[in-house]
Amino acid sequence: MTDLSEVRWLRPSRLLLRVRRIEVACVTVPLAIAGVLAGRVVSAATGIGIAVAVVLAGLLAERFLARRVTAWGYAEREDDLMVRRGVLIRRLSVIPYGRMQFIDVTAGPLERSLGLATLRMHTAAAASDARIPGLESAAAAALRDQLAALGEAQAAGL
Amino acid sequence: MTTPFPNGAPADDTSLRGRPAQLAEDGTWHRLHPLSPLVRAGRQFMSLAIVLVGIAALNQRPARGEIVTDLAVLGVVLVAGFISWLVTRWQIAGGVLRVDTGLIRRDSRRIPLSQVQAVDVVQSGLARILGLAELQLRVAGGDSSRSGRLACLRRADAEELRLHLLALAGARVLAVPAGKPSRQLFRVRPRRLLGAVLLTRSGATALVVAVATGLTVQLSGSPQTVAPFVPVVLGVVLALWRQFNGEYGTTVVAAQDGIGLRSGLIQTTAETIRPGRIQAVRLVEPLIWRAFGWCRLEVDVAGSRERRENSSEGRRQRALIPVGSRAEADGMLAELMPGHPLPSRPAPSRARWKAPLSYHFLAWDGDDRFVVASRGRVCRQTTWVPLQKVQSIRWAQGPLQRRLSLATVHLDAAGKRVSASIQDRDSAEALEILGALPDLARAARSQAAQPAADGSA
Repeated sequence: MTDLSEVRWLRPSRLLLRVRRIEVACVTVPLAIAGVLAGRVVSAATGIGIAVAVVLAGLLAERFLARRVTAWGYAEREDDLMVRRGVLIRRLSVIPYGRMQFIDVTAGPLERSLGLATLRMHTAAAASDARIPGLESAAAAALRDQLAALGEAQAAGL
Repeated sequence: MTTPFPNGAPADDTSLRGRPAQLAEDGTWHRLHPLSPLVRAGRQFMSLAIVLVGIAALNQRPARGEIVTDLAVLGVVLVAGFISWLVTRWQIAGGVLRVDTGLIRRDSRRIPLSQVQAVDVVQSGLARILGLAELQLRVAGGDSSRSGRLACLRRADAEELRLHLLALAGARVLAVPAGKPSRQLFRVRPRRLLGAVLLTRSGATALVVAVATGLTVQLSGSPQTVAPFVPVVLGVVLALWRQFNGEYGTTVVAAQDGIGLRSGLIQTTAETIRPGRIQAVRLVEPLIWRAFGWCRLEVDVAGSRERRENSSEGRRQRALIPVGSRAEADGMLAELMPGHPLPSRPAPSRARWKAPLSYHFLAWDGDDRFVVASRGRVCRQTTWVPLQKVQSIRWAQGPLQRRLSLATVHLDAAGKRVSASIQDRDSAEALEILGALPDLARAARSQAAQPAADGSA
């Protein structure tokens, strides 16, 4: 039996926090503006009230972000990859290298501008969700190649 | 399998007719049966007939223009089908089935037979009248664009071709010596199936709708008020009929090339599940069925059947036992997974706080080959997953579980939502499971790979 407490976790880049913050801001600001415009139909005070509520919710989400970002972790073990995530609902996935069907590296415009990428592993099971966001592009590519090589070496039939 | 067609073809038949004269690996091109466009257009045919009958019933005097339009549509469909038949060819060469089709956009599909998970023979009602059958090849991956379909062949040819393909696909993994007679494992009882279908959720819906209709008629006193219910009633009846039709006469036999499964009243399906291709086995016991001691046994096989025409059926898992007694299910389980464990380790009693409705069903067990887990609120679901088929292992803990020091471990097998969930275990136990299972699964995989290097997908 493997002792899970000895696993050394690697973390995604710190820039991921910035990506998430910008994402939250991108949702909060337009929503607040829309709130002001919608509330003005009733009264100016309502509009401002809605905007304040939205901004407060955004700030609350921001407080939560730091914990969520630090919760991400991955570990390359001898025969499998482990990925953990989540604060409220904590999850940990174990994916044997031999089971990987293919590996995706994706990067949205925001991630790309900060030189980050998201790595996603697919197995034949739709439920196994294993992704590592916020890897530096070069690191993501290197990890992808390494995982692909390991997967090929240990590939097992369905 | 040296002579796939011992009877041989009539001398006047050429190889480009419906009957393939020689199916040995010579790479000859074959054509589908000339009547296949008719079968493929069967659905349009039926709808046209229904429309005509409907018009006749409502107006007595059908509008001429509409019939002309319908006939024109049918004609176009038939001509398109004929052209599609003209340009479709298939061959078997070098262990690969190749299907070429398409007039404007050519589509050439190659299916390596070593990757075929199962071969099905499907007959729709019209195909049965014409003595034709459709051959469906299931390939892992679930994407229908990767699976093969030969529609239609003569029924006898389809059966023989299926055996031939299976022999080509899995000659190396056959454990049972050839020539051994097949043994019947299960046959569904028609009356019990009827009762079971009526006692499912759709059956209950039908009952509610029927009662509502009756009440409306009673209260309003005029039969016209029923009109809004008609589509609902039709839908429910169709759903019930589809299930009954699909599962009628389900027969499971242990044949030399795997587990044979036949079913269907009007549209019949025959499929073979190759040994070692079962990803998971699920035993479902709904509330009302439990009162009768009935259950349903489903198997998950990688690869989805292509169902363009009736996609609603494709969503259901294939049931080896649509409805049967526990004894029958246990016998089948012993056949599929000799020495399978039973869910004997219940969840800790504090799990009652987290899952008050499903607590009584939560249990699991496992050995070095299988893991079994049961769950469910009203309907009990027990899932067996062979460790060698486990794709990934997930551990999850929600806030309430954390407070109660519980955790859940999921074992995922290939397919959509195919997993055994060991739900609400003690945290320490869950971690222990999570630590031990990857190693056990790896050992099971390497053990499975050794005895028969079967070149699987």
